[in-house]
Amino acid sequence: MGWITSLYRSSIGKKSIMAASGLLLCLFLLAHLLGNSVSFLGREAFNTYAEKLHTMDTFLFVFEIGLLALFLIHIITAVLLYLENLQARPARYAVSRSGGGRSPGSRTMPYTGVIILVFIVVHLLNFHFTDKSIPVADLVRGLLSRPALGMFYIFSLLAVALHLSHGVWSLFQSVGFNHDKYNQVLFKGALIFSIVVGAVFILIPFLALVSRNFLL
Amino acid sequence: MSEIQLTLKIWRQKGPDAPGRFQTYASGPISTDMSFLEMLDVLNERLTREGEEPVAFDHDCREGICGMCGAVVNGHPHGPEKETTLCQLHMRHFNDGDTLVIEPFRARAYRLEKDLVVDRSGLDKMISAGGFVSVNTGGAPDANAIGIPPKNAEEAMDAAACIGCGACVAACPNASAMLFVAAKVSHLSLLPQGHPERARRALDMVSRMDELGFGNCSNERECEAACPKGISIRHIARLNREFLKAAIFSEEE
Amino acid sequence: MILDAKVPDGPLAEKWDRHRFACKLINPANKRKYDIIVVGAGLAGASASASLAELGYNVTTFCLQDSPRRGHSIAAQGGINAAKNYQNDGDSIFRLFYDTIKGGDFRAREANVYRLAQVSNNIIDQCVAQGVPFAREYGGQLANRSFGGAQVSRTFYARGQTGQQLLLGAYAALMRQVNKGKVTMLSRREMLDLVVIDGQARGIVTRNMLNGAVESHAAHAVVLATGGYGNVYFLSTNAMASNVTAAWRAYKRGAFFANPCFVQIHPTCIPVHGTYQSKLTLMSESLRNDGRVWVPKNPDDTRPPADIPENERDYYLENKYPSFGNLVPRDVASRNAKEQCDQGKGVGSTGLAVYLDFSEAIKRDGAGVITRKYGNLFHMYEKITAADPMREPMMIFPAVHYTMGGLWVDYNLMATVPGLFVLGEANFSDHGANRLGASALMQGLADGYFVIPYTIGDYLAGIPAGSRDTDHPAFKQVAADAQARIDRLLAINGSKTVDEIHRELGLLMWDSCGMARNEQGLQQALDRIPAIREDFWQNVTIPGSGMELNQSLERAGRVADFLEFAELMVVDALSRKESCGCHFREESQTEENEAKRDDENYAHVSVWEYTGDGNSPDFHREPLAFENVEPSQRSYK
Ligand SMILES: Cc1cc2nc3c(=O)[nH]c(=O)nc-3n(C[C@H](O)[C@H](O)[C@H](O)COP(=O)(O)OP(=O)(O)OC[C@H]3O[C@@H](n4cnc5c(N)ncnc54)[C@H](O)[C@@H]3O)c2cc1C
Ligand code: HEM
Ligand code: HEM
Ligand code: SF4
Ligand code: F3S
Ligand code: FES
Repeated sequence: MGWITSLYRSSIGKKSIMAASGLLLCLFLLAHLLGNSVSFLGREAFNTYAEKLHTMDTFLFVFEIGLLALFLIHIITAVLLYLENLQARPARYAVSRSGGGRSPGSRTMPYTGVIILVFIVVHLLNFHFTDKSIPVADLVRGLLSRPALGMFYIFSLLAVALHLSHGVWSLFQSVGFNHDKYNQVLFKGALIFSIVVGAVFILIPFLALVSRNFLL
Repeated sequence: MSEIQLTLKIWRQKGPDAPGRFQTYASGPISTDMSFLEMLDVLNERLTREGEEPVAFDHDCREGICGMCGAVVNGHPHGPEKETTLCQLHMRHFNDGDTLVIEPFRARAYRLEKDLVVDRSGLDKMISAGGFVSVNTGGAPDANAIGIPPKNAEEAMDAAACIGCGACVAACPNASAMLFVAAKVSHLSLLPQGHPERARRALDMVSRMDELGFGNCSNERECEAACPKGISIRHIARLNREFLKAAIFSEEE
Repeated sequence: MILDAKVPDGPLAEKWDRHRFACKLINPANKRKYDIIVVGAGLAGASASASLAELGYNVTTFCLQDSPRRGHSIAAQGGINAAKNYQNDGDSIFRLFYDTIKGGDFRAREANVYRLAQVSNNIIDQCVAQGVPFAREYGGQLANRSFGGAQVSRTFYARGQTGQQLLLGAYAALMRQVNKGKVTMLSRREMLDLVVIDGQARGIVTRNMLNGAVESHAAHAVVLATGGYGNVYFLSTNAMASNVTAAWRAYKRGAFFANPCFVQIHPTCIPVHGTYQSKLTLMSESLRNDGRVWVPKNPDDTRPPADIPENERDYYLENKYPSFGNLVPRDVASRNAKEQCDQGKGVGSTGLAVYLDFSEAIKRDGAGVITRKYGNLFHMYEKITAADPMREPMMIFPAVHYTMGGLWVDYNLMATVPGLFVLGEANFSDHGANRLGASALMQGLADGYFVIPYTIGDYLAGIPAGSRDTDHPAFKQVAADAQARIDRLLAINGSKTVDEIHRELGLLMWDSCGMARNEQGLQQALDRIPAIREDFWQNVTIPGSGMELNQSLERAGRVADFLEFAELMVVDALSRKESCGCHFREESQTEENEAKRDDENYAHVSVWEYTGDGNSPDFHREPLAFENVEPSQRSYK
C-alpha cells in the first residue's frame, strides 16, 4: 500500500483526498438536508422520521464512525495544505490584487472551514450529545428559536454555502474533470447547489426564529 | 502620442540576503507609446547619470516570448493587461498621476537576487525531472509516420505556448507552480510521442515540484488570469488526471 | 596562411557520407573521458549540448539568461525549412541546396550548403519525435507553407512560434541530460575570453553574472554557439543580450572572422517611435503576401492614409518589379523602403515608415479570411502601436535582423584555432551574402544535432583523453586580463551612459554600413568609430561594483567589444567593392539600380585575422568554386 502514502505525500494526492472527502461530505449534507426537510411537513412527520432513523442503530454507528473519519481526513488534510501554502510564500506582496480568478468562496475556504468546524462542535453538543428522549422537533424548535443560537446557525450555514460555492466546482477540477462542453453547466450547477443547500438549511433556524407555529 | 507623469514605488534590494525596501521615484515625462520596460530604461538612464544604481530587472527578447521579464505591478504579475508580458505592456494603459507599486515575483521557491530579479531555476528543475521525450538524436522515425489529429496538435500547442515566465507562481495565492507543470505535462500527453512516458513524467514532475517548495493548487485560477499566454487551468485538470491515473493505476513507482 | 576548408572529395551528394566514414571514432567507453564546453544555449548550443551528452561526453553548457530556454532563437516566428517534399510540389535536397546558394547570392560554400539540405529532413523527424507541435493538416499529416518567396512549400511551422517550439524541444533534450548528470548547465554566466594553450582551444573564462566571480573552465574542446551580432546597430530585432563578445574574444585569440559586413535587414518591422526605443519588433514576412506597400506620391502629403486617393499613391514595389511586386526578396524590399524615405516620402511621425495596406485584400477575401490569416500578427501590432491594421494601413520599416558573417569555420565547423568549433548564427558558414527565410533555424539545428557530433569526435580522437584542469598559467593570465578589463571599465566614472554611446555607434553603423554602403560613408565611419570608442573609455559611467549583479557592467563589456568589432565590419565592407546579397555598394549597381555582383574579383569569403590592437587586420581569401550550380545574376523585374 506504499502508493497510498506516496499519494498522500504529494500535493495532487492531498488535493484528491480533499476532493473525495469533500464529495462524500457533500453527499452526507444532501442526505441530512433531505432528512431535515421533513421538518417542513410538521412536527409529527419529523419526529417519526427521527425515531425511525434511531431504530437503525448498527447502521447509524457505522455511519457515524465513517462520518467522523471523513471529517478528520478532510480537516487534517486541509490544515496540512494550508500550512504548506502559507510557507510557500514567506514574503508577502505589498499590493495584492486579484486578476479575476479567485471567488469569495475560494478566498475564504480555510476560514469558512474553521467556522464549519466550530459549528459542528456546537451542533453535536446541541443535537447529538444531548438528552435523546426529547422529541427531535422540540429539540430543534427549542434551541433554534433562541435568538443567539439561531443567528449563529444562520451565520454558520452561510459559511457552509460559501464553502460549497467553491468546493463543489473545485472537487471536479481536483480529480481532473474539466471539459469545455460541461464547464458552464458544472460551474452554474455547483453554485446553484450551494445556494439551495444553504437556503433550505437556513430556512429551519429562520422559521424557528420568526414563525409562530413552525414545528409546534 | 501623449505624455504622462507617474510615481513609481520600486522594490530595491542589494542582494539575496540584504534587507529590501520600497523607494519612490518620480517618473518624469513618459511617452504613452513606451513599453513598460522602456519606461524603466528611461528611469535607469537618469539614475545612472545621477550616480545611483539603476534598477535591476530581467528582460531579453522584449517581444513577449522569452519569458525573462516580469514583475508585479500594483498587485498584478506582468501588470494589469490580460495576456500581456511586462515587456509588451505599453504605458498608454496608465493614466497621468498614477502611482505604480513595482515588486519582484515572490515565492519561497524564487530566491530574490537583486531588486526585481529573481531566481526561477526551479522551473528548469521541474522540466529536467521529466518534461521531455526520451529520444536521442538520430533515432527518430519519419516525421509523418504517426498522424496527429490537428485538434490534438492545436491543444498541445496551446499548452506548449508557455514561456516559462513563472508569473503563474507569482500570481497564485499559494505560490503553486501547477499551471507551469500542467502546461508541460499536458503538451506531451496530448501527443503520441509523449505517451510512453506519460505516467513517469507526471509522477516525477509533480514530486520535483513538491520538493522545491512550491505551494499546492487550491483551484484559485489566479494563475490563468495572470498568464501572459492564456494557458488555461483546463491543463491543470489534465495534469491532475494524468497524475492520479499514474499514482493509482500505473506500475510506475 | 592558407585557409583549408577541408571539404571532402567526391561528388557533392556523397561528400558528407564519405566524410562521416572518414571521421575517426572514439570508443563509447572513452567518450566520458572527454570534456566539452558549449557556450550558448540557443538552438545551436542546446541541440549540440544534448547530442554530445547523449553520446557520452561530459558537457558543460553556458548561457547568459537565467535559463537555457530563453536563448534568442526563442523569438523566431516564421518557420523552418526542410526538403521533405511532403507536398509533392517539386522540392528536393538539390532544390533546397540550390535555393539557399542562390539566395545567398553565390557567396557560400557549396559543400556546406548541400550538407545542410541533406540533414534538413532529419531535423524535422527529430523535432517531431521530441514532441514539437508542428501545424497539421486535417488528416493528421504535417502542414507546410511557402515562405520568403520560395516557389515550393517546404516550411514547417508551429503557429507564429516556431523558434520557441524548436528551442523548447532542444532545451528539453538538454534538461534531460542535466538530470542524468551528463550536462552541467551554468546559466547567467558570460564568456569573457577563450583560453588557448599550445595553439589549441582549451577552455574559457566566464563571469558569474550574479556575484561577479571570474571563473575558469577547462575542456578538450570549446564549442561556441553564441548567436549573431546584429546589436552592433543598437536597434535590431535581436534580443537585448545578443552580442559579439564571445566571437570577438575568440577572434582576438586567433580565430579568423569571415564576412563581418554581411548583415540582413528585414523589411517588415514596426517603425521606431521615439528616442527611448530599445529594440525593434519583427512582423512576419508573410504579411507581404496580402499587404500592398505604398507611400504618398507627394512628399508633402500629410493627410491620413484613407484620405489619399488611389492615383496619389505610389505602389513603388509593384511599379518597379511587376512580376514579383510586393514579394521581392528581403534586401530589395528593404532598400526600396529606405529609398522612398530618403526621398522624403516616408510616412508617420518620424517619416521613417511606409504603408503596408490590407484594404484591398480585405475587400477581395473578406475581413474574416484576413483575420484568420493574420489576426495574431495584427493583434501584436495593435498592442505595440495602438492602431488596428484592419482599419488603417500598417506602418513598417526595415530593421537589422540577422548576421550572415561570423567566425570562419571549415567543413567540420572548426575555427582556425584547433579545438574551437562554432555553430549557428555565430559562424559564417551557410548563408553567403543573404539568408533565406526559415533557414537559420535549420542551420542551427543541423549544426548542433547532426554535424558537430561527428566532427568533434574526429578532432577529439586525435588528442589525449583524461581530466583537464585550469592550473595552467594561461588560465590565470586570461582570467587576470578579464578581471583587469572589468576593473578598468568600473574605474572610468565619466558622465555618459553605456546606452548613449551604444546608440551613437548604432546610428553611425546604420547610416554608413546599413542597407546601402559607399566608399565615402564607410571611410567616414572608419574615422569616427575610434573617436566614439575613445569617448566610451573616457566618459562612460558604470554605477555599482563588479562583485554583484550589475547589468550596466554587462552591457558596457558588450558595447566595448561592439566598438572594436564595428571597425572590422566597416573594413570588410570597404574591401568588398561589389554588391552581393545584402551588401549593397552604391558604386556597384546595374542601370536599373539593382545590385551588381562581381564574380571575377569577389567570388570569395573575406576572412580577417587579428594582428594586435591598433593594427589593421590581415586579409585572407577563401575562394569559392561553384561546380554544381551556375552563378546567375538575380533579377526580380
Ligand atoms: C525576430 C526574429 C525572427 C526570426 N525568425 C526566423 C525564422 O522564422 N526562421 C529562421 O530560420 N530564422 C529566424 N530568425 C533567425 C534565427 O532565429 C537565429 O538566427 C537563430 O535562432 C540563431 O540561433 P543560435 O543558436 O545560433 O543563437 P542564439 O539563439 O542567439 O543563442 C545564443 C546563445 O548564446 C548565449 N550567449 C551569447 N553570448 C554569450 C556569452 N558571451 N557567454 C555565454 N553565453 C552567451 C546566449 O545566452 C544564448 O543562449 C529570426 C530571428 C529574429 C531576430
Ligand atoms: C438547520 C440546520 C440543521 C439542523 C436543524 C440539523 C439537525 C440535526 C439533527 C436533528 C441531528 C440529529 C442528531 C441525532 O439524532 O443524533 C443532526 C445531526 C448531525 N448534524 Fe445536523 N442539522 C443541521 C445542519 C447541519 C450541518 C450544516 C451540518 C454539517 C456541516 C450538520 C452536521 C450534523 C452531524 C455531523 C450530525 C451527527 C450525525 C450523527 O450523529 O449521525 N448538521 N443534525
Ligand atoms: C460538511 C462539511 C464540509 C463539506 C461538505 C466540505 C466540502 C469541501 C469541498 C467539496 C472541498 C473542495 C475540495 C477540492 O477542491 O478538491 C473542500 C475544500 C476545503 N475544505 Fe471543506 N468541507 C466541509 C468541512 C470543512 C471543514 C470542517 C474544514 C476545516 C476546518 C474544511 C476546510 C476546507 C479547506 C481549507 C478546503 C480547501 C482545500 C484546498 O483546496 O486546498 N472543510 N471542502
Ligand atoms: S503557464 Fe503562463 S504564467 Fe506560467 S510560466 Fe507558463 S506562460 Fe508564464
Ligand atoms: S492560482 Fe494557484 S491555486 Fe491553482 S488554479 Fe492557479 S495554481
Ligand atoms: S523580455 Fe522576453 S518575454 Fe518579456
